[in-house]
Amino acid sequence: MAAVATKKVLYGLYTDEEDLKTAVKSAKDAHLDIMDVLTPFPVHGLDPVLGLSESRLHYLGFIYGAIGCLFGFGFMSWAVVSDWPIIFGGKPYWPIPSYIPITFEMTVLFSAWGMTITFYTICGMWPGVKPKILDNRITDDKFCIAFDVSESGKKDVDSLQAFFTKTGAAEVHEKEI
Amino acid sequence: MNLNTQFVFDGKLKRNLFIGMGLGVLCLVWSAVGDDEYHTRFWTNYLHNAVFFTGIAFTAMFFLAAQITAFAGWIVAVKRVWEALSQFMLVGLVLLLVIVVGVWGHLHHLYHWNTPGITDPANPVYDEIIAGKSGFLSPAFFTIGVLGFLGIWAFWAYKMRQNSLAQDQHETASFDYYKKERKWAASFLPLGGFLSTVFLWQLIMSIDPHWYSTMFAWYSTISLLLAGLALMVMVILYLQSKGYLEYVTREHLHDLGKYIFGISVFWMYLWFDQFMLIWYANVGEETIYFKERMENYPVLFWGNMLLNFVTPFLILMRNDTKRKVGTMFFVCLIVFFGHWWDFFYMIKPGARIAAHEAKELAEGKMTTHHEAAPINSDDHTTATTTDHAEGSVANDHADTGHGEAHGAGHESLSSFKAGFTIPGLQEIGVLIGFLSLFLFFFFRNLERAPLLPLKDPFLEESLHHSTGAYPEGEDGGHDH
Repeated sequence: MAAVATKKVLYGLYTDEEDLKTAVKSAKDAHLDIMDVLTPFPVHGLDPVLGLSESRLHYLGFIYGAIGCLFGFGFMSWAVVSDWPIIFGGKPYWPIPSYIPITFEMTVLFSAWGMTITFYTICGMWPGVKPKILDNRITDDKFCIAFDVSESGKKDVDSLQAFFTKTGAAEVHEKEI
Repeated sequence: MNLNTQFVFDGKLKRNLFIGMGLGVLCLVWSAVGDDEYHTRFWTNYLHNAVFFTGIAFTAMFFLAAQITAFAGWIVAVKRVWEALSQFMLVGLVLLLVIVVGVWGHLHHLYHWNTPGITDPANPVYDEIIAGKSGFLSPAFFTIGVLGFLGIWAFWAYKMRQNSLAQDQHETASFDYYKKERKWAASFLPLGGFLSTVFLWQLIMSIDPHWYSTMFAWYSTISLLLAGLALMVMVILYLQSKGYLEYVTREHLHDLGKYIFGISVFWMYLWFDQFMLIWYANVGEETIYFKERMENYPVLFWGNMLLNFVTPFLILMRNDTKRKVGTMFFVCLIVFFGHWWDFFYMIKPGARIAAHEAKELAEGKMTTHHEAAPINSDDHTTATTTDHAEGSVANDHADTGHGEAHGAGHESLSSFKAGFTIPGLQEIGVLIGFLSLFLFFFFRNLERAPLLPLKDPFLEESLHHSTGAYPEGEDGGHDH
């Protein structure tokens, strides 16, 4: 969500996804509260290590698809059967087989758009929102673990610094976003 | 985990398979006794299962070749299973030889185009459409298309297998064999892709010689591929229950499940494509094919979709169902039976019509009908093909007298007939027989080589294969 308050973030950059996975594992073992992990591409097996539960987005995808399916089929039926009945090519008024391709396309369209819009809404990515990017290189070749240190004392920050050094982070930075 | 394992084909399994084969032979004989004079039920049962299981061997080979060409690594853990499946093509050559001999010797009447004198304009049985296609629909070309093409595939399958076995003998993992295997695999793809269309046109589509569909070969090949994948999963699960293939994890199972899910949707797509193009264009000699089946074979027609699309689509849609052994086995059983059912649907109604026509020709009833028919080829076809659909509107007022003649001497084509309208007990028995035969040769080939090609360069990748859907160890692994 587009939060108004800024956060102080301490983040470390890794150069390899396997190092990142090991680091996340040891952070979990040490019960450190990870704010976010950012990677330039989807890293296999990262979600389970982070302990993220399975996304529920695809349930919504199914519902959107079902709505699209009913909408496409229903609209065509209404238009051609009841609102403006026309005989096409000697077919009956309600030519179900010829509806199937369009119904299929509507299902895919609704499900894809619905999921995209939902995903962007959850992430607070509306048009005009200025994205908060910790470091431009995480979209290129760096793997990042970020901790929220807005309310942490010096001792906590030091221990996080030590954690980054121990797990082999190439760089450690602090930033307000 | 022991990687160097060898399958042992024990006596108990052999005995069970022999019992299955005996049952199959018994049911074949049973269907030949008390059959019509052309032994349609016997021959369709034979053709149906021979094509089905030979086709499974072919698609196993095709799938393996496609995976190897695409540098797929995951397949190595189950590669020997694929190889063993593909070797059945040699047996299929013998099975289909019987059909080819039957065509030459006129032992069966599966193919109406094979009626003597059908291409001779002076002959009363002359059929203009079939005469026009006689370059393709002739015994000579049939022999080339069935035995020749199958022989080519079997040779490729043999070479791939030999190469894979030779790799085992090499001391260290070497890319030489792999490169050679890729050459065989890549060259098989066009051979299999193009020749399979002709293979299936001749064996199955030509049962309805007036009907023509460009989608047919795709749709029936995909049907075979799905049956092969389903059988493969069931065989893997069986072998695992016996303690083999420990290294085949749920990750492999998950990927095979995805294939079954995705290709089932593709099958439905092709099926519907074929249906809708014909339905929309509404050309007489094409539409009659579906009209006949929808009206007189509703259980086959709708059951086909229920078994092969609705069931795998709804069950395998979820992520976790593909990883559950019981669910996968259940779905695969349905999909395997469903595609057997699909081939039943392709073969039986058409062969029943062909036998019916042959009977009429023999009794001289079609002769008058042909003389009365207009010379124009389109009308001619419509006249002969609507003849199949007893009681259709067109037929009723076109030649009422003809229709009455049917009713007097023959069972109607729209009536229920076990073994044609739905599979009967004999068909199930024949299926079990052919399945036992297939599995017998499969296990024979499996026991002749180590279960894992230890020198394959992709071995390690396959052993650590992961779909990334679940954490390692949790809900994964081989124990179930």
